[in-house]
Amino acid sequence: MTLFPDPKPLTAFALNDHENRVFDLAGLKGKWSFLFFGFTHCPDVCPTTLAILARARDNIAKSKVGAEDVQFVFISVDPNRDSAGKLGQYVAYFDTTFLGVTGSDAQIANLARQLGAPYQVALKPGMESYPVYHTTTVFLVDPRARYHAMFTPPLDAETISRRFKVLRELEGAKAT
Amino acid sequence: MRGRYPVLAGLILALTFTAAASEEIGVSVRDAWVRESPPGVAMMAGYMALRNDTSRSQVLVAARSSDFETVMIHRTIVKDGMARMEHASQIEITPDASLLFAPGGYHLMLLNPKRTLRAGDRVDVNLEFRGGLVLSVAFEVRK
Repeated sequence: MTLFPDPKPLTAFALNDHENRVFDLAGLKGKWSFLFFGFTHCPDVCPTTLAILARARDNIAKSKVGAEDVQFVFISVDPNRDSAGKLGQYVAYFDTTFLGVTGSDAQIANLARQLGAPYQVALKPGMESYPVYHTTTVFLVDPRARYHAMFTPPLDAETISRRFKVLRELEGAKAT
Repeated sequence: MRGRYPVLAGLILALTFTAAASEEIGVSVRDAWVRESPPGVAMMAGYMALRNDTSRSQVLVAARSSDFETVMIHRTIVKDGMARMEHASQIEITPDASLLFAPGGYHLMLLNPKRTLRAGDRVDVNLEFRGGLVLSVAFEVRK
């Protein structure tokens, strides 16, 4: 985990979640948010990461404070193939509390740029199957919608949940 | 020339059948598993630990399975901060070495399963090496 001593406040963005509700800056406030960029036609990195995040969430949910103030958001950078329905089915497979969000390329790029999350969709006209490149970093945004920390591979559920719990305690102590 | 082919075919068949107990071949596989795919996703990734106990390099050139339309050998690489998949046309395993197929690295890309595969199911994959060795490996589907 890389912690930022001076967390950067995120600015306005707008996406849609898998139930077609707006997911914007307000959606990040009041909760810790783990954000991961990917796409559902991804056989290796995305399911591996989401399975790890689901285990990390389990660990956090079992802790004294629980996971009520934590959300996990999978941001698809491939809106062409990842409809809301498809995203909903996909994220629920890993954890029923996970949110799947996406938007237009400009909308995705807005949030991705703020987090420094590179991605590229090598979409060619008429091509049914095309490669999608994306960062493997997991981003942690704090309840004040500030980009607070990041996790880079190799990811491990126990490490993520343990470090998150320590960070949440520290920040909770600061706030009171 | 014509007479040699049945012998070769027989040899490959024999190797295939003995691959499970592959001591005499010297190429073995451990911990072979396929990640169960989420609903609506027609691709899976297979992982394993390949071991070459022979005194020669072994080159994996292809993988096939009757359970999938297509099987490819892929490697996830990170370039310019982004993960991407690279097709590996062949992979060399040096003598007395192991090669790990693991999440975020080498994997078998299994496309369009012909039946529904759930955790606990078994998938048979033939690993083909240069020189004709075929290793039949049972992969366990895991969640």
